[in-house]
Amino acid sequence: MSLAARVTTLIVAVLAVVGGVIFVVAHYLLGGPPTVDFAAATSGQVNVTMQTDASSDPATVPDHPTWVSYFIKSPASGSWVHTTLFQVPAHTRVNVTILGYDGSTPVRNQVWGQVSGTTGGVADYGGKPVKTVNGWNGPYLIQHTFAIPSLNLSVPVEAGPATCTTGPCTNNQHSTTTFSFMTPAQPGAYRWQCFVPCGLSYLDGNGGPMQTFGYMTGNMQVVS
Amino acid sequence: MAIDMQPESDRQPGREPGGREPDAPPPPARPWWRRPAVHTALAGAVIGYLLGHLLGNVIAGQYSQVVNSGQNDYAIVLGYVLGTLGWLAGLGVFSDLLRQMTGRPVHATEEARDASAGLARYFRYSLDHKVVGLQYLVGMIGFFLTGGLLAMAIRTELLSPSYHVFSSATYTAIVGEHGTMMMMMMSSLILGPLGNYLLPLMIGSKRMAFPRIEALSFWLTPAAYIVLLSGLMFGGFPFGWTGYAPLSVQATQGADAYAVAFGIMGISLILLGFNIIVTVICYRAPGMHWGRLPIFVWAMLTTSFLMVLAAPVLVGAMYMLITDRTVQTAFFTDDLGGSSYLWENLFWFFGHPEVYILALPGFGVVSEILPVFCRKPLFGYKVAAAGMVGVTLLSFFVWQHHLFDSGINPDMRPVFMLTTELISIPTGFIFLVAMGTFWKAKIRFTVPMLFALGFYFNFLIGGISGVYLSDVPADTTEHGTFFVMAHFHYTIMGGLIFAFMAGLYYWLPKMMGIRLNQTLGKIHFWTMFVFFNATFLPLFAVGMAGQPRRVYTYARSLETLNDWVSISSFLLGVSILIFVFNFVYSTVIARVHEEGNPWNSRGLEWQVSSPPPPGNFARVPVVLSGPYEYGVKDAPPVADLDPPLGVISNAYAAAAAEGAEV
Ligand code: HEM
Ligand SMILES: [Cu+2]
Ligand SMILES: [Cu+2]
Repeated sequence: MSLAARVTTLIVAVLAVVGGVIFVVAHYLLGGPPTVDFAAATSGQVNVTMQTDASSDPATVPDHPTWVSYFIKSPASGSWVHTTLFQVPAHTRVNVTILGYDGSTPVRNQVWGQVSGTTGGVADYGGKPVKTVNGWNGPYLIQHTFAIPSLNLSVPVEAGPATCTTGPCTNNQHSTTTFSFMTPAQPGAYRWQCFVPCGLSYLDGNGGPMQTFGYMTGNMQVVS
Repeated sequence: MAIDMQPESDRQPGREPGGREPDAPPPPARPWWRRPAVHTALAGAVIGYLLGHLLGNVIAGQYSQVVNSGQNDYAIVLGYVLGTLGWLAGLGVFSDLLRQMTGRPVHATEEARDASAGLARYFRYSLDHKVVGLQYLVGMIGFFLTGGLLAMAIRTELLSPSYHVFSSATYTAIVGEHGTMMMMMMSSLILGPLGNYLLPLMIGSKRMAFPRIEALSFWLTPAAYIVLLSGLMFGGFPFGWTGYAPLSVQATQGADAYAVAFGIMGISLILLGFNIIVTVICYRAPGMHWGRLPIFVWAMLTTSFLMVLAAPVLVGAMYMLITDRTVQTAFFTDDLGGSSYLWENLFWFFGHPEVYILALPGFGVVSEILPVFCRKPLFGYKVAAAGMVGVTLLSFFVWQHHLFDSGINPDMRPVFMLTTELISIPTGFIFLVAMGTFWKAKIRFTVPMLFALGFYFNFLIGGISGVYLSDVPADTTEHGTFFVMAHFHYTIMGGLIFAFMAGLYYWLPKMMGIRLNQTLGKIHFWTMFVFFNATFLPLFAVGMAGQPRRVYTYARSLETLNDWVSISSFLLGVSILIFVFNFVYSTVIARVHEEGNPWNSRGLEWQVSSPPPPGNFARVPVVLSGPYEYGVKDAPPVADLDPPLGVISNAYAAAAAEGAEV
């Protein structure tokens, strides 16, 4: 082959490989769940509303409709977004409301029945302040937890009646867990996660949704 | 003895296999797109996969190993298996066999034409060992770069303990792909390029013993590569390259890709090793007796015994894992009467010999190169060969050192600690031989020699850290940390990959008749050597400080060290890119031809032109002296490349007559 032909072949081959790699990387980066932005804080406070579901509508969650999942309500459009990534301002009070549509899975270790890191050290279950939940005997039962280990924040989420199984659910039959906490002054990504092993049929319940963004684990992005 | 005594042209025409008379008109050749090559293979693979997938769904409907994952394991496994068979069928692996079985003529004219068909023959099921060697070489570099990209992804994630690029599950999937790609796809293949290409040339043979097996062993590797990568589409496998049960039994469909791909590679390794053993034993030229065998050929022979004896255990284990995951056998499920220890033992019974499958070829390459650039005979040739045989034997008796911390019978620990520490003795021979060869030598610091010296430096660190790991009390703190990670990267990347680079810079002029640019080669060596050590040396400390393997986050206090390591690993990546640039630039654009014997080597492979002519030697050479007699007065030439006709057969006739008398 002549030099020109060799160089042309080479350029085509390199472009094909580079194109392939860019495609895969872009696919990965764009494929993740979106981030819901709560950055526009009014009156120094942010209200975050989420819900938990036993399973989801395959039309909304085509990847794993059978997995347990969180949804976050977009403050801009008011619609439910299938994600666990959200962004809040630094050093701000965040008021969280979690609507529980999933049934009860008791915590494996009763340590997770304690509320920690919230304003006042309590979470409100249907409006009643609670410090510790006995997830096995009640009166309140637990389905998931919302925990940010690096802020020492951990809140058991009250179980719901589990009448709706195709999230996002919109009926009124849910539990309501509310609490507040202060975001740290330092900007950064703060990992949060559920600590009830709810990855049904995975090893010790800790695989699948427990490890995947958009389901039972996510990031709280703190911006200054 | 099965060597061709006469040049091809002197042969008597005879009936061709397949029953065609010699004077019958040759069958007409088909157009290129109807003849088997990569494009028909891809079509075969797609058809096979779809058929298998359909079959799996018919057999097992909506069954899946992990209830919530929504995928049927039968369909995936059968898809992979039939897809691989379809790939081989499309390549034409079975065509000639079927034709001969049914008594129809083979496409001999097409084969002859394809054999000399420039670039196109590299995309065909070629039976020429030199074509297969280069196919392996390009494949291996491709697998290495894929694994390397994954390594860059790992180090990107580890830049920070709190900012995350990947979720924890994606991270373990990437680590698993990286480890498996590097171990089973890339480094185990080292005898593919260097062995298949060089072995016949080094022992004076015209070909490998079984050309079809040689080609098959290569063409299984692209199939395994695609299967392994496809695991990422099913979420990867969360258990790393060791596939520990029960994780591997309970994992999602990515685990099917792991098991099938590793199984295919196991078969490929068995075929590769088997072919090399027979070739070394039966295809040596007259005069190439065991005491004259190049040391690299000893390394190939011992490595091949490891592959042939260890890989079947791996293939069996993978098969059991697949049946556990599909038809619900319970080999590895404790609740149902199986044992997860069974997997751990089967895997490491293969896995420890496997690490010597990676180490011995490295020893062989550097020992082969040393005398050439020291201009001295190899010191203690017999000791080196004996060391390799010793390592081979012992490496089957150490596997439980990987299980010290797993809860095995405590009485087993001292036993395996002893055997493991014993194996450092024959390994030490290799260093002894090198020291003896360096002694008072006038060393030529060429690029291959630099890489060989780098090998000894790195492997020393890798080997010494291994002694700590073989010590049960010490291992208790080091097990499962980055200390282990640093240890095996020193032996494999610092060892085998450095040796591979040495071999590549040394033999590429032989294989392609083209010289790699030496200035770029030196830049490549120094950047790779510096950044390799800068990347992996701190990881011993990180490991001792307790950072665990396969975890995407770590203690905040280790961030500085991890950042250092990550940045240096990116620079290591740049160094590899310099190599890729050099390789592509030198072989495609510059093409500086190198026909003779640039290193002034006495190796038999260097006595023929570069690249060697078809058939390697016009006549089977007669070997007259050993390969390392540098600076020895009155040393005869290595071989007589044009022995008078009849010399060889007369020699054999005399021997046969003697034998008959006794
Ligand atoms: C560019 C150079 C490389 C870098 C920067 C690199 C980096 C890494 C890192 C950071 C890990 C550990 C991840 C973890 O445990 O969390 C790892 C694992 C591993 N690497 Fe590499 N690596 C490189 C090249 C290689 C090579 C050449 C080989 C073998 C030939 C190799 C074989 C492995 C294996 C077997 C594992 C273990 C995977 C597992 O735990 O299952 N690596 N590598
Ligand atoms: Cu949960
Ligand atoms: Cu071992």
